[in-house]
Amino acid sequence: MSPKAPPLLEVDIEVKRRQVVVEASFALDAGERLAIFGTSGAGKTTILESVAGLTRLSRGKVRVENKLVAGRVKGEATMAPRHRQVALVRQPTTLFPHLTAEQNVAYAIRHSPAGTRVDELLERLGLSSLARARGAALSGGQRQRVALGRALAGPFRVLLLDEPLSAVDIAAREPLRLLTIETSLARDAAGILVTHDLAEAQAFSDRLGIIDGGQLLQVGGALEVVLSPATRRVAELVGYAGFVPHPARPGCWYAIHPDRLVHATVPERGVVLEGTVLSTRPFGLRYECTVTTRSGEQFTVHLDTPPPGGTEASFTAIDPPLVGA
Amino acid sequence: MRNTAPAGNLAATGVVPGFPQAGRIAARGSTVLALFGALIIWLALLGPFAVLIQHLSLHSIRAALGPPGALGPLWISLGASAIALGVMVLFGTPLAYLLARGRLPLARLVELGIMLPLMMPPLVIGLLLIFLIGPQGTLGNLLADIHLTGVNTFFALIVAEFYEAAPFYVLGAHAAFSSVDPRIEQDATLLGDRPLQAFWRITLPLAAPGLATGLATAWARAMGAFGAVIIVAYYPRGLPNQIFIAFQEFGLSGALPFALLLVVAALPLPILAYLWSARTRARVAGAETP
Repeated sequence: MSPKAPPLLEVDIEVKRRQVVVEASFALDAGERLAIFGTSGAGKTTILESVAGLTRLSRGKVRVENKLVAGRVKGEATMAPRHRQVALVRQPTTLFPHLTAEQNVAYAIRHSPAGTRVDELLERLGLSSLARARGAALSGGQRQRVALGRALAGPFRVLLLDEPLSAVDIAAREPLRLLTIETSLARDAAGILVTHDLAEAQAFSDRLGIIDGGQLLQVGGALEVVLSPATRRVAELVGYAGFVPHPARPGCWYAIHPDRLVHATVPERGVVLEGTVLSTRPFGLRYECTVTTRSGEQFTVHLDTPPPGGTEASFTAIDPPLVGA
Repeated sequence: MRNTAPAGNLAATGVVPGFPQAGRIAARGSTVLALFGALIIWLALLGPFAVLIQHLSLHSIRAALGPPGALGPLWISLGASAIALGVMVLFGTPLAYLLARGRLPLARLVELGIMLPLMMPPLVIGLLLIFLIGPQGTLGNLLADIHLTGVNTFFALIVAEFYEAAPFYVLGAHAAFSSVDPRIEQDATLLGDRPLQAFWRITLPLAAPGLATGLATAWARAMGAFGAVIIVAYYPRGLPNQIFIAFQEFGLSGALPFALLLVVAALPLPILAYLWSARTRARVAGAETP
């Protein structure tokens, strides 16, 4: 067997911030995308800035194509920013305010691979009619499109996106997401998206990382992490809204997801939970109910036809994952 | 300006909880008071110009500026100020940039050093300059070796103007560079620019309005420098010296034509710089769409 080539991007960092110590360690091959999901203040932006080599690391290093981007390694200098091939879309958006949308997108065209077309990009970003507008005349969503376009038109092997579509209307996100994924694949690049929107994270990438309090708690497949969270905290972050102690194993809980419950008693499909319906409210096209079990645990459930409040009801959590502390 | 907008709106709508009527009257009263104060200041500042225009006659201008060589002081002032400004831009710009980006050790001390000439009386600067670059000083001796004498020479005039004007440019440039978000400079370098390219394409255009204002102020100070100049460079005679000498010899009527000349020579650049930077700022702020 021939020795495996080093990954395109290797990250192993520790950054001390006032509130938290941010630690992360992962690697991405060309064409791979990772979404990092977590609450605000969890250290998502710090990870991106560290990978771009813009933050002083207290320990560790970042390598792109096996060349040092950040960190101190004896006898090896870190690359100048222009050689890093790292594109960064920041949050809040930073445009070049004295340049038009078109000039922003075309900013790095002289350094970009041949065949990068600015007019085409502007059209796909939905910016054709705004090509000559400056940043101050654009809305938040439009500014984000320009920033995304500027990054995609530039030279990169690593694409770093900090909530790049947060101000874009949800209905308009899909084409932009496709454009981003397409371009990143065409460049044979690695991508990292950070977001506090789980659906956004899963739509962008095949791999999902969960960050909390500066720690990358779990990295895995985009659905796998949600289906089998490693800890109770990860489960809470990805949407589990109830924890029922395992009858035989102290310190272990069944994690109950509102969308993985049926209003029926089907013991062969999972764990049966009985309790009192506390409240019911509309939730999109369905209803959200809060239920308390006899032993006092609360969970929420999404249903098409909810039982009336105050009544006793029986639910089955479908194959709930078992989580530890 | 933008920061004061909400407070202004509040005053204009007269929202004083509990006393809407009283609030409205108070708001109107304070607006009138503010306008009155602004007018007084504006008139007071413009007053001298009005007097200058009023007391000038075409005859006295012709008499003072007509004879051959009468415009000599103008060329001397323009030349010395231009050179002083060139040196300022060449060395002051990098200094201001490094200060703004916090890349200098002991930045506070450096800043204080730049401001010191502003706080010192120009006459005192002039006296100290004689010690520094005059024939008896150490630096003066070195200068003498390369045939530059620091007293009563064109070189001395440049140095004296530099001391009076440079802080205005460096501090103005410092503020201008500080207003440019360092993150967008980083963005430019990540997009493939060399640091100098990013400076040229991003930092400079964004700081340009502030730099222009600083440069214009420095130009006006250099052209009008007098206190230090009259001590170290009585000769060659620049315009401010000429005004002073004409005033002593011929009184007000003899000095005013030169005063007009100085104003006419020194003012257009600052005014143009002001108008240009105001327009550029408005364009970047989006007030004007292409």
